[in-house]
Amino acid sequence: MQEDYINIILADDDADDRMFFTDAFEELKITTKVKTFNDGVELMDYLHTDDAVFPNVLFLDLNMPRKSGLECLTEIKQSDKFNDMAIAIYSTSASEEDIEKTFVMGANIYIKKPNDFKTLKKVLQEVITINWQYHTNGLNKDNFLLRL
Amino acid sequence: MPGRILKKSWLIKSIFFISAFIILLIGGITYRSINNLSQSSALLTQTYKLNVELEKIFIDLKDAETGQQGFIITNDPIYLRPYNVGRENINASFAALKELGSDNIPLQNDLKDLNSLIDTRMEYFERAFRYSSVGNYYDENFTVNFNKGKETMDTIDVKIHGMIDSQNELLQKRQQAYESNLKVTPMFLYMVLLLSLLLMFIAYTKIIRDLKKIKAVNEQLEIFKESTNQSQVISQHGNWILNVDEKTFEYSDNLYRLLGEEPQSFTASTTNFSNYVHPEDQEKFKKEMERLFKYNDLPFIYFRIVQKNGMVRHFKAFGKEYNNSEGKRKVLGTISDITGEIEHFKILEERNLELERNNRELSAFNYVASHDLQEPLRKIQTFLSRLEDKESANLSEVGLLYMTRIKNAASRMRMLIDDLLQFSRTNKADKSFELADMNVLLENAQQDLAEIITEENAIITAGKLPTIKLIPFQIQQLFSNLINNSLKYKSKNRNPEIQITYSKVKASEEPELVNAHKSYYHKITIKDNGIGFNNEYAENIFVLFNRLHNKDEYSGTGIGLSICKKIVENHQGFIFGSGTPDKGAVFTFFLPLS
Amino acid sequence: MKLHLKFDFNALCRKVLDDKLKEHGIKHKILGFGEIELLEKLSDERLEKLSNELNEYCIEIVENQKSILVQKIKDAITNMVFNSDTNVNLKASAYLADTLGHSYGYLSNLFSEVTYTSIENFIIIQKIEYTKQLIINENLSLTEIAFKLNYSSVAHLSTQFKNTTGITPSSFQRIITKRRELIQNQTN
Repeated sequence: MQEDYINIILADDDADDRMFFTDAFEELKITTKVKTFNDGVELMDYLHTDDAVFPNVLFLDLNMPRKSGLECLTEIKQSDKFNDMAIAIYSTSASEEDIEKTFVMGANIYIKKPNDFKTLKKVLQEVITINWQYHTNGLNKDNFLLRL
Repeated sequence: MPGRILKKSWLIKSIFFISAFIILLIGGITYRSINNLSQSSALLTQTYKLNVELEKIFIDLKDAETGQQGFIITNDPIYLRPYNVGRENINASFAALKELGSDNIPLQNDLKDLNSLIDTRMEYFERAFRYSSVGNYYDENFTVNFNKGKETMDTIDVKIHGMIDSQNELLQKRQQAYESNLKVTPMFLYMVLLLSLLLMFIAYTKIIRDLKKIKAVNEQLEIFKESTNQSQVISQHGNWILNVDEKTFEYSDNLYRLLGEEPQSFTASTTNFSNYVHPEDQEKFKKEMERLFKYNDLPFIYFRIVQKNGMVRHFKAFGKEYNNSEGKRKVLGTISDITGEIEHFKILEERNLELERNNRELSAFNYVASHDLQEPLRKIQTFLSRLEDKESANLSEVGLLYMTRIKNAASRMRMLIDDLLQFSRTNKADKSFELADMNVLLENAQQDLAEIITEENAIITAGKLPTIKLIPFQIQQLFSNLINNSLKYKSKNRNPEIQITYSKVKASEEPELVNAHKSYYHKITIKDNGIGFNNEYAENIFVLFNRLHNKDEYSGTGIGLSICKKIVENHQGFIFGSGTPDKGAVFTFFLPLS
Repeated sequence: MKLHLKFDFNALCRKVLDDKLKEHGIKHKILGFGEIELLEKLSDERLEKLSNELNEYCIEIVENQKSILVQKIKDAITNMVFNSDTNVNLKASAYLADTLGHSYGYLSNLFSEVTYTSIENFIIIQKIEYTKQLIINENLSLTEIAFKLNYSSVAHLSTQFKNTTGITPSSFQRIITKRRELIQNQTN
């Protein structure tokens, strides 16, 4: 992929999951810069700073203490400055209605945390690829919905 | 009933009076007839007597004449005796005649005439005596008087007989009248008697009938009263009556018992009653009593009473105005002891709350358990895969084998937890019903399964489905699960064909709906041509985690149909399955018409 | 006085490019040696101006035939999919070959080389994108869309939609509708 690097941010309170995530990206052929936060408050604080670098894709866990993924999502959607960011919900299993709800609230991507590492890599690769395709082909980002 | 009797009373009264009048009328006429009868009888007698007396006079005169003649011939004073007697008799007769004929003017006149004639005759008798001497019959004075006497006698004779004749005439007339009276009077009498009898009979039957009716009504009332008393005792209520105009109360026996007292142990009144009212409810009770007196009406009120022994009971009271036909205003009311109801209600409420709490806890437990179990399991699996990737080379064959086994076990656990989670999510509590088109839901389900459907070349045909109130996501899942099942258990020999049909049915006509609460149901059947199953397992297949095949033959945990059942139950419906091995299976679910 | 210098030509070029592009206010990404991705399209005029300025540094903008061609392929495909006037029954390969004057094989290889995805894949992406538009903007039913886009059946369209996006067309529609409602409610 002809890219300098792709910016990724993950907010997840689970240390193991953060580890899986960063390891997976390391093993992918894509050049990425991955930043992780431990919960929603840390994430939003960062995003609101002046010199924050907005990621191409933001991965949000739903179940986080202090501020949940949904609360972050709502907050992000309220401000126009985040409009270029693709938001991916990265969570353990949820019901059909709940998944639909995250899309309705503005998420672009929903990822159910996979059970094995290979699948995780595959999923993340696909997310980045498709996101980049949207980007370069000038496709309508409002209609960008992806579920893996 | 009483109304009818009352209405009739006017009729009866008028009939009675008219009949009485008629009877009196006829009675009067009869009385007059009888009077006439007796009068005419008296007159008859009178006339007979008159005639008799007249005849007597004539006879006496004749006797006197005979005596005179005898004396004149013999000069024997013995012959003077009839003469004297005769005169006396004649006088007596006259007196009698006078009395008898006192009201008969013509007779009196005739009597006067007769009297003068008789006097004249007597004169001639006397003269004849004066001038008679024995042997001297040729004295002129004597013969003249004797002859004149004879003439007078003839005149008297004519007179008397004329009188007698006229009397006889009169007698005849009177006799006729008497006879006609005699004929008519019994008839009148008879009529009066008949009419009276008839009247009496009518009155009698009417009275008997009314009596019977009243008696029946009375009996009914008695029974009713008795059953009311009974019902009051059993259902723990009492009746009260307020006589509006007199402002007095009547309490039924049971009302006293409800207060814990002997029947009629105190005078019925609001003051006495309020002695039993709970202190906290006194105000309310007083207000309600004021309202009762003002409006003659008492809508449902609730209050507590405290019996003498300290027991608190909950009462419900109600009263409504009653106007009976005599216009006396009353308020009829009831008091009910609802302590039992209230207590039951409280217990029910408590139990319900407890059940709800239990349910919520179980659901939460279920959900949390499934949900929170996922995390560690996922970690295990992920770390396993990392291990596999990174350290396979360093593992011995046994190590690798064990790893595979661990992976498989973890996978199995994952499936179970996923299914449990899905099952616990099918809880109705927080799902709302909305009007949805089942055709759309079916379509969505097919879209979800689009890949498998195309892969297996499955043909799904569906009739038109209704739009009804349901939980859309759940019904969609229901379709999804059932179709997925049909696809999963397809026959190896043929392409899967699934037919979905709909009809509206009456619960009474469906043998499977014996326990149904509603009358009409939507019936949806999903028929496939797969491997089917043995009908003896028809109920088993819906049991949680129950499977008819082991996991090597067909994947799955056996929760799909349980979820289907739970979904249908959430909608107060029913689901049944039947199968024919190697032919196919039919799943039918019923959703009630709201 | 003499100074000894070391040169990193790569970094040097990058800096010059960066600065120049920033000066012109052009968003860009430097992809690797010899390649810049401009994040916005430049008019010929501006391009010329940039080109001239870079020439001062002896940096020449080389017309990458390959990139141009790939862009043409993309445009052609987009046109084919989104334009309902086009006879949709034409096979894509024939259409592209005709329109662009190269064999399909050549085009296909070139495309994959440059974009790392296949033409087929790109076509599918465009079709799904168009489907989304049709669902939202023109409220067409799936049957109508399937026909319009030359799918053999609705099921085929559904499958492809789901494979590409991970959700069913009806879910997609539902979500977009609810999103709109949500925004409406928020603005009220």
